[in-house]
Parts: sequence; structure tokens; C-alpha cells
Amino acid sequence: MSTSKTTGRKALDILKTLPRVSLENLRPNPGARKTERQRGRGLHGGCKSGRGHKGERQRGNRPRLGFEGGQTPFYLVIPKYGYNKGHSRQPQYQPLSLKRLQYLIDLGRVDPTYPIDLTQLINGRGVTVQPLKRDYGVQLVEEGADIFSAKVNIEVQIASEGVIAAIERNGGVITTSFYDPITLGILCKPVPFFQRGQPIPKRIFPGEDSILYYTDAKNRGYLADPEQLSQARQELAQKYGYVLPDISKDEAYRMLAMRKDPRQIFFGLSPGWVVNMAEKKILKPTDEKLLRYYNS
Amino acid sequence: MLRLSIIVACRQLGKRCISSLTGESALPANLRIPSNLIELPRTKRSLSPGCELPVLRRCEAEIPVHLSAKQTWLESLRSREDDELGLVELHPDVFSVPPRVDILHQVEVWQRNFKRISHAKVKSRAEVRGGGKKPWNQKGGGRARHGSIRSPIWRGGRSTSPAASPNKASLRVLGLKVALSSKLAQDDLHILDSLELPTPDPQYLQDLARYRNWGESILIVDVNELPENILQATASLKTVNVIPALGLNVHSMLKHETLVLTLETVNFLEKKLLWHDSRFTPLYPFKLPYSDYP
Repeated sequence: MSTSKTTGRKALDILKTLPRVSLENLRPNPGARKTERQRGRGLHGGCKSGRGHKGERQRGNRPRLGFEGGQTPFYLVIPKYGYNKGHSRQPQYQPLSLKRLQYLIDLGRVDPTYPIDLTQLINGRGVTVQPLKRDYGVQLVEEGADIFSAKVNIEVQIASEGVIAAIERNGGVITTSFYDPITLGILCKPVPFFQRGQPIPKRIFPGEDSILYYTDAKNRGYLADPEQLSQARQELAQKYGYVLPDISKDEAYRMLAMRKDPRQIFFGLSPGWVVNMAEKKILKPTDEKLLRYYNS
Repeated sequence: MLRLSIIVACRQLGKRCISSLTGESALPANLRIPSNLIELPRTKRSLSPGCELPVLRRCEAEIPVHLSAKQTWLESLRSREDDELGLVELHPDVFSVPPRVDILHQVEVWQRNFKRISHAKVKSRAEVRGGGKKPWNQKGGGRARHGSIRSPIWRGGRSTSPAASPNKASLRVLGLKVALSSKLAQDDLHILDSLELPTPDPQYLQDLARYRNWGESILIVDVNELPENILQATASLKTVNVIPALGLNVHSMLKHETLVLTLETVNFLEKKLLWHDSRFTPLYPFKLPYSDYP
């Protein structure tokens, strides 16, 4: 009998000398199945079936958890306090680390020669965003900031200072932008939306709890003043001690300078347009009323 | 006390060393062949590494560095002696995966259950009309306590209908791979160049199978349209069956003693089964006309 050199394939060598594998000798792994104990039969357990004598224990109608026999229970004695107030309505941001972004780029699952937004990340199976479960997008996480070496133009929802520094050190551009739940659902899964044949809606501005974040140049918010943005880039370069590459002399300047309008969802598609998937056409509105609505 | 325990421990260690040296007793009791088993002696022809026969098929997919392709003979149905036309290379990720009998068992159980899934619909307790109101007062009526006339212990009452548990696609793929690998390891897998037969006579096929030790029952698989001769020859034989490659399944493979594939079927199976190793999760439900799968 010839034996294979790798230990993992030993079982196949043993199988050569065993009876044929057929429907007769199939079985689950030893110990994988456990038969349920049959109560109320035999010598031990014919009387009370292991449930003891009388009362709630025998009949299985135990009171609720925390019940203290009629006395005001502990969990009701202590008054409520707002530590977790509104936690079921708080926005969630799925984490995406720079290490994973580099991995996606290295494997070719995300193309850095085009601007990266949420659609690219989801199509590359980098993150899963569920707008119906209070997800408002992705946040870039600093893990892997020291090994990140791609030049990207990326748009995320939240980014920390270290992440912004890691991307701008390589000559990249980062923008944080807000999507309301409806436009976020369209951005995550565009094809089912286009097949519905509805006009692309316009993006809604952030509410009062997050407007300050997206107008701040330090966060590279999409509503921030462009002059302040360039100043903030310089300041961050000084703080982290790197030389800021000049983007305007870069080969990929056109790609790096691409930014979405605050009302826009997709690059190259304005709100109000209809994408016809069947005939591969784009229909634009001409009515003045509509134009005024979508341009406001 | 301490000395005693040391002596006992040393004895056990010695026993273990001896048992690991002898190969026979290393097998667990449930895997040893019973002495009263009657079986034909296996006469496997050896595949020497430096033989001159041409390799007639190479794997299309890339083989991982730590594995090597499995080799087997290419045979033909044209005459009895045409059983060593050349060598065929098979992908190790399909034809040489670890033999997991428990996975075969799971897939077999699933197949048997899935066959008799009923699409009958029974309304549950919640869906049946009525039963919202408490039929009579809790106390004072002298009758048993009840909350609903549709509870499971009432006539006309309903319980929730049990749902069939789905089985993972990845498990079924692994089951096919394990079944193919165990067939190849036990020398029950034969590969043909084509299914061309010289005569439509069933006796010819039976004689050929007996001459080549193909066993009692044979399953022949092909992707293309089948030739007329093989259809006629197998029509009257109960133990020789022909199925298309899309219908290949674990139950049929294990039910028949020998599995016979054509070269094109091997290509088809390798392509289909290896795709599952590198596939990614679907983004959209399959009912939509759009899919971003390759």
C-alpha cells in the first residue's frame, strides 16, 4: 500500500482497504447525536420524573425573572436613568479598517483608479450596510494606518484624524458625507432601484445633530468651505510630520478632484434623472417646475 | 503510593509506544474489517510514475502547490481490452478530499427528507378563523379553563405547522466531492473517453462489466446527448443506469457500486464544483434578473 506523504490525506489511504462506502455504512460522527432522555419510565423516575414534589417546580409555571415573591423587586426599586436613552434609534456606522481597505485594493476587489464610494465597497464585499437596521454608512477605522499605501479618492461617512492623515500622506483625498436612509438604500443597492424606474431623488442635508460634523473642515466634511479644507490639510500634515503631496500636479488629478454635489447620489447622475435599464438610456426632466425642485 | 503510581504510568506509556508501532491495532474497532467478510480480492493495477503511457487529460484549473493531481486510467467501451488507453489527471480538490462519512450521512438524510417535502398548507392556530374571544369565564362555570376555541387540544383547533429545515449549498457540494473522492480511492470510479458501444446488445455490456470487475450495479454519467446504442443496451438492465451530469447526486453514487464518468463529465464536474471554492456571497436575491456573479 502506497502511503501519501502529507498527513492530511492519510484517511484516503485507510479507505482503500476498508469495505465500500455505501448507503449501508453511513453514520454521523460518534458523539454528534444525543438521544433525548425519556421521562417517566422505568425504575428511577417512574414516580415524579425528576421534577421534585409539588408546586411551581413540578408544574413548570415559574414566575418571571427577577420576581421576588411579591416584594417590590430590585429591578423596579432602582429608578431609571438615561444612560442608554434612545439607543434603539442611534445611528450605526459599520467599521471598515484601513487594513481591510488595503486588502480589498490589493486583491483587485476595489479599483483605486476610480473614486471609491459606498457602492464600490459593497460590490467588492468589503462591508455590509443595512439601512433598515439604523445603518447610516461606514466609518473608516485606524487599524493598519501604518501599512496603508494606496492613493485613493474615497468617500465615507465618518473618519478619524489618524485615518485622514494616513490617506492624505499617500496623496489621496477623503470626504465625509451624509446620506439619509432612503438615498443610502439606493446607493447600497442601485440596480433594484433603477429597475423600479423611479427618478433619482435628491439627497437631504444632515439634521441638527450631525450638521456640525459635516461642515467642519477638520473632518473633511462635504459641506465645509474649500479654502478651509486646504488649510486643514496643511495643518494636519504639520501635526503628523509628513510632507503633503501636491495633488494638482498629480497624473490622476482629474480623478482625485472628483466630488459629488451635496444633492447628488451617484457620480455622473443628477437628481431627477431616470435610468432605463431595459433600453440602457437616461431620461432627463425638461419641465421647469421639476427642474426648479431638483436644483433647489 | 507515589512509587506505585509511577510504575503504573510507565507501563501505560510502554503499552502506548508498542501499540503505535504496530499498524493494525492503530485502527479503531469500528473501522476494522470483520474476519467473516466475503469479498473479491482487489486487483488494482499500479500506476508507476515513470510510465510511457500518454497523459490524455490535464486539469484546466490551477492545482494548489501543496497538492498533486490524482492519476487514473482512461478506458473505452469499444472492446474488452481497451481499459488502459492512457492516463487522466484529476483535480485533487474534487477527487481527493478527506473522506467525511458524516457529511455523506447529512447529505443523504437531507436528500431523503427533501424528496418527500409536502407543499400542502395547513392553517396555523393564528391563521384559522375565530378563536380570539375567551369561550367562557375562567371561574364559576364548573368547566375546564380555556382561552381560545382554536387551541391545539380543541376539535377544530390547530397547531403551528412544522417547517422543513434547509440544508446549506456548501455542504451539498462537499458531499459530492467526498463521494467522488471515496469512489476514486476505493477503485470504483472509471473514466471513459465516450459512451460509444459497438452493439446495442445488453449482454455485451454485462460481459464487459463482469470482465472488468465493475461489480453488481453501475451508474453511468454523461453531459452530452447519449448515443442510441447505450440507451438501448441499458433500457432492459435494472442495475445499470444512465443519468445526466446535472442529476448527479450523493444517494445515487452510493447506491451503485461503480461510478462511470466520461471525460467531458469530469471537465463539467470539476468546473462546477471548484467554482464553489472561490465564490462570494450574492448581493441581490436570485429572483432579480440582475446578478454580478462571473
